[in-house]
Amino acid sequence: MIYLAGYSLYKAYYDQDQTIQVLKNATLEVEEGDLVVITGQSGCGKSTLLHILGLLDDPDQGKVCILGSEVSAHQASAPSIRNREIGFVFQFHYLVEDLNARENVALPMLIAGNTKHSALARADELLQLLGLEQRLKHYPNQLSGGEQQRLALARALINQPKIVLADEPTGNLDPGHSREVWQLFHKLNRELGQTFVIVTHDPELASQSDKIHELKDGILI
Amino acid sequence: MNPAEKLFLQLYLNHPGRYLLRFSFIFMVLGIVLSVGILAAGLNLFEGYERALRSLLLDSFPHISVQSVNRDYLDQDQVAAIRQDLLAQPEVASAIPTISFNAMAYNGSKVRGSLIRAYDPNPGGADHYSKYVSSGSSRLETGKVIVGHYLAQELGLALGDTLRLVYPQLDRITPLGMYPSEHSFIISGIYKSGYYEYDRSQILCTLADAQSILYIQSSTGSIEVKLKGTYVDDAWEISRNFDRMLGNGLTAFPVANSGLLRVVRMQKWLIFVIFCFLVLIAGINIISAVTTQILDRKNEIAVLKTLGATPPTIRQIFQNQMLLVCLGAIVLGQLFGYLLSWLVVKQDFYHLKGDVYFIDRLELYVSPLNQIIIFVVAAILAVICIRIPLRRIDRMQIIDLLRNP
Repeated sequence: MIYLAGYSLYKAYYDQDQTIQVLKNATLEVEEGDLVVITGQSGCGKSTLLHILGLLDDPDQGKVCILGSEVSAHQASAPSIRNREIGFVFQFHYLVEDLNARENVALPMLIAGNTKHSALARADELLQLLGLEQRLKHYPNQLSGGEQQRLALARALINQPKIVLADEPTGNLDPGHSREVWQLFHKLNRELGQTFVIVTHDPELASQSDKIHELKDGILI
Repeated sequence: MNPAEKLFLQLYLNHPGRYLLRFSFIFMVLGIVLSVGILAAGLNLFEGYERALRSLLLDSFPHISVQSVNRDYLDQDQVAAIRQDLLAQPEVASAIPTISFNAMAYNGSKVRGSLIRAYDPNPGGADHYSKYVSSGSSRLETGKVIVGHYLAQELGLALGDTLRLVYPQLDRITPLGMYPSEHSFIISGIYKSGYYEYDRSQILCTLADAQSILYIQSSTGSIEVKLKGTYVDDAWEISRNFDRMLGNGLTAFPVANSGLLRVVRMQKWLIFVIFCFLVLIAGINIISAVTTQILDRKNEIAVLKTLGATPPTIRQIFQNQMLLVCLGAIVLGQLFGYLLSWLVVKQDFYHLKGDVYFIDRLELYVSPLNQIIIFVVAAILAVICIRIPLRRIDRMQIIDLLRNP
């Protein structure tokens, strides 16, 4: 079953009199339980592709489908789709500094309208699963880079999304923490059947996955 | 309220020190405290002034005066009958016979115009003036007078001194022409009500002394009617009823200076409106602080939008935080206003000019209703100033925020 798909995606950026075409007819289909890795050189458009697939941006041409239905970043239901169907993990984790670990993880569930009690209970479960049970009351600035990224992953998973999109999740981590986070993605994919689309420019980490696409000259190979 | 909004609100309420006391809020808070403080101080002082003036006017003046239509003096039988009729009315607190007239008071070469008000010194007579007698005796006695303290000051007289009164008798012309009658009285008390006009001109004496000056036998000029508290504002309507009740030859008219009180009340609200503009100016600081918050917390906005929060939810989260800070600042401003008005009342280097402002001292009164009005108006202005820059959140694109953290 195809969870997420982008067909014939085109995207260009305009810088003064220069046009930079980053996506040219890029197509990707992600099935249930996949762990898809997208690699490519820096600036080749990997993040752009992920943003379009995650309904954070619209393509100039082409379409994005979730479970067969065409969706767009500017449609009224986009926030709700981002909240319930998609989980995000970014290179710079983007945790809310004012909230502690539990509250950060619980946030998407609260935005979805769930009670604080149920959201915090689910956050505790996830933080335990990801080995952060000792850090429940810690604020982001009290956590290491690896812990912050695991926290971001827990936040991405709390609403049990169909798919998690990770944009250079290890880009800001040392090799030890990178391997740790990468193993976590594989573990969740294997044991829970969680679907992932991960963007990385690290070929060594990418090589550990079965489905690897390279974005080159705006086309997915 | 969305549970996410509630989570943030609970954090702000449970840990105000961590989330609300931020350096970036300092000028916003200062602006609100100062402007609300000035607004509250202005209203506290004006409320005090209005109440002091009202209390003085209603205490010192009769509310309704009853006299004969052609200003003839009333004899004792008439007075007794009128008083009986008046005191039977539920609105009437007292009905006191009195004589009032103008005369010249002098001491050596100093001459001042004065208003003589004469009352029956016996029990049951007037005693409303007694609480304003600042020195000497408050009891009226034959041959003695109680003098307004400014009048005594201007004439250079003190307790125990002799005051001379000259009254021109237009109907007593001698072969040498009009000859004014002259009388001497011992000053037994000094009257200090705070109402400048009275303190500058009023002389209180017994009915018998006034009758002697006017050459009238046991007659009375008018009857001063004081109404019970709740009826004072209806003095005009009540006087018309009395007018009809008392019948031919007598007239009742209101003398409570309600017009002046209305003007003072109007001035108070005018001051309030003008000072509200100060709060509006403080609103510029609010707009600036909210804008800074939005720019400082772009990442947070991006995260919330990415996680599916709608712009109204994000706006509400920001609004709750800023509004709590503003409400705290408004309360602080009201306390500052109280302190400011208290200091103004206690200071001793500036005094009101009684001939301009009727009373010569500042009073402070903190009306709960006024404080509620200040709070509500300032809070509404704060909400408006918070919401204006928050509209910017709707226009912020997630992708721009993520690409330019």
